[in-house]
Amino acid sequence: MSIVTDLLTKPGVIAAGEYAYRGDRFSYRGALSEEHARMASIMCRATTMGANMEGRMLEVFQPRNGLFPPRGWVVHGPDYTVCVMANVFCMLDNASGSINNTINFMAQALAKASPDLI
Amino acid sequence: MATLDELMQLPGAMAAFEFRGSGELLEQRIAYPERINESTLDLLAHMCAANMSIATMQARGWEKVTHMKGFYPIQEFTLVGFDWSVVVSGLDRERFKDRGKASLPPFTGVVLANEKADYEAAFATMEKPEPAP
Repeated sequence: MSIVTDLLTKPGVIAAGEYAYRGDRFSYRGALSEEHARMASIMCRATTMGANMEGRMLEVFQPRNGLFPPRGWVVHGPDYTVCVMANVFCMLDNASGSINNTINFMAQALAKASPDLI
Repeated sequence: MATLDELMQLPGAMAAFEFRGSGELLEQRIAYPERINESTLDLLAHMCAANMSIATMQARGWEKVTHMKGFYPIQEFTLVGFDWSVVVSGLDRERFKDRGKASLPPFTGVVLANEKADYEAAFATMEKPEPAP
């Protein structure tokens, strides 16, 4: 199974997808329309690129700091959380999902993902 | 509002800090000064302020376009790095806004070692309501 398929079996996950770092492709599964999934992919890719730029800047300023290379990011809202690791995104319902389990699952599943954003 | 000392009690806490919405570092606690210092926290605070603003804009736009509610306002933004994560919260500021206050408290943040990080515990600590006066 792909990580997206695996994520959808986790409690609280309402949608998950993958995007290409170069921005020309995305795929998804779950409770989103095609157009909304495209928008989510674009926003996640933009934030990932920004986080990587910030991580590189921090690394130049203080080498061997533990934030570089960035592996992902999480936005926690009142009812929903967006978790992104490498080029995979996931939307989680806070009431029925576990943020710790989701982050840990994604981090392990994507542990060998290249940090080169290619 | 969680104090910096409370945030330093979280599993794997390496540093806790407060910063303005414009990113300036206001106060900090550092557990391992040889690994993370005030200058690094200052740059990190500016990065976190930028990320909170961008995430807030995206959540606002997402809700307007999709009519899905529950993403805005952003309560916490977390950057997961190779060995460390940084969690920042602006929830206290939202509570002040809800009460009609013009002067807002600072953002709070905590740097956690990934191997011990409990993100949900960090969120819960940061979301703890203020004690009644």
